[in-house]
Amino acid sequence: MINYEREMIRVQGLKKSFGKLPVLCGIDQVIYEGEVVSIIGPSGSGKSTFLRCLNLLEKPEEGQVFFEGAEITNKKLKKKELDQYRQKIGMVFQHFHVFPHLKVIENITLAPILEKKMEKAKAEAMAEDLLKRVGLLDKRDEYPTKLSGGQKQRLAIVRALAMEPQVILFDEPTSALDPEMVKEVLDVIGELTQSGMTIVIVTHEMGFARKVSDRVLFMDEGLVQEEGTPEEVFGNPKGERCKDFLSKVL
Amino acid sequence: MLETISQIWDRYGYVYLQGTWGTVYIALLTVLFGSVLGMLLSVLKMSRFKVLQAVSGFYIWIIRGTPVLLQLYFFYFFLPQYLPFELSEEQCIIMALVVNASAYVAEIIRSGIQAVEIGQTEAAKSLGMSGFHTMTRIILPQAIKNILPALGNEFIVMIKEASLASVFFITEITSAFKTVQSATFITIPALAISGALYLILTTVSSFLMKLAERRLKAND
Repeated sequence: MINYEREMIRVQGLKKSFGKLPVLCGIDQVIYEGEVVSIIGPSGSGKSTFLRCLNLLEKPEEGQVFFEGAEITNKKLKKKELDQYRQKIGMVFQHFHVFPHLKVIENITLAPILEKKMEKAKAEAMAEDLLKRVGLLDKRDEYPTKLSGGQKQRLAIVRALAMEPQVILFDEPTSALDPEMVKEVLDVIGELTQSGMTIVIVTHEMGFARKVSDRVLFMDEGLVQEEGTPEEVFGNPKGERCKDFLSKVL
Repeated sequence: MLETISQIWDRYGYVYLQGTWGTVYIALLTVLFGSVLGMLLSVLKMSRFKVLQAVSGFYIWIIRGTPVLLQLYFFYFFLPQYLPFELSEEQCIIMALVVNASAYVAEIIRSGIQAVEIGQTEAAKSLGMSGFHTMTRIILPQAIKNILPALGNEFIVMIKEASLASVFFITEITSAFKTVQSATFITIPALAISGALYLILTTVSSFLMKLAERRLKAND
């Protein structure tokens, strides 16, 4: 499934700090088309910041981010070009951030209609297909306040999918959910990993990361300390930090 | 007392009614134009350009840092002298109230917008929505729920603040009291009528606001 001929995202020498606190201390990574990459590590290790640098929700101080070979950290990049890149990179947040003032269906169709000039009828048909896929079709005309956490997150996922992105970034998608709702969201993400989509996921669900990932990155103190296949990282961790972390969470 | 009140009302009711209309008229105009001007100010204050931020910051600083009565005097004496066209006293006073209200409305709008969760902006950006669409389709529709109730409050404040216009004998409820008092030399009952009229206005307005708020919250 992975196409090593095509780089989706390349990151070079990425550095970022919040005030005096260094968060990312030089990260180099290449993510290939169709690859599923999980990022694990203790909190405060820079995982989420790294993910948010990939669609420039955070502006890195040093280093470059390339999307399909084009640099998006380029200072001369126009706002409109950045918007267009972001259309190709979906993101799902820990706290869902569904739009509370819009109906479920409008949450999905708004961006395709506005930014991709999709016809309303077409957008709605597509949105209904997506809702059916995640079992929310009966909520089509509800407002998000009527949804449970798990339903909101499934809505957030299909909202991202509706832009037909080439990559989806998941930022701890199940961390804010009640335990009984984690599975319904992981099932949806798991299904996505089977579809050939390029996925980067920051997660604390180790079992899930182990099952679906092509590659696992262990981050600590702003650096990727260890990386490899799930078997390598989970089964035979090399570094002390990684061993220590895994012994605490597994 | 009640008898005196009823006698005054029989004789001077029309003065009070004119005054009541004057108060409502001033408060409505002030909130309306104050909102338009305030919107402009808040846009300046949130703009990317430092100069524009500074200009609106300066304006808001002056207006919120000086008493409204002083501002009324300033406009009352200043505008007729230095403007090339004729202005009635009432127009001068209403302008002063509009300018005053605009500074407060600007802050209401700014804080209403900034109270919308930053995650909403990030979600819109992550979908590749333009800055304009993010503002008009995601942020403002949510901010309006914070802004409208505060604007309604501002209207009630204006009903009471319009009483300052009585210093300049502009037709409104407190001026009505002054007229009646100087014609009859009866003070407390005449004042009580004005007070009752204010209470009716503010109570009705806050009731209407509650209705509007409930409708706004329908989807929350």
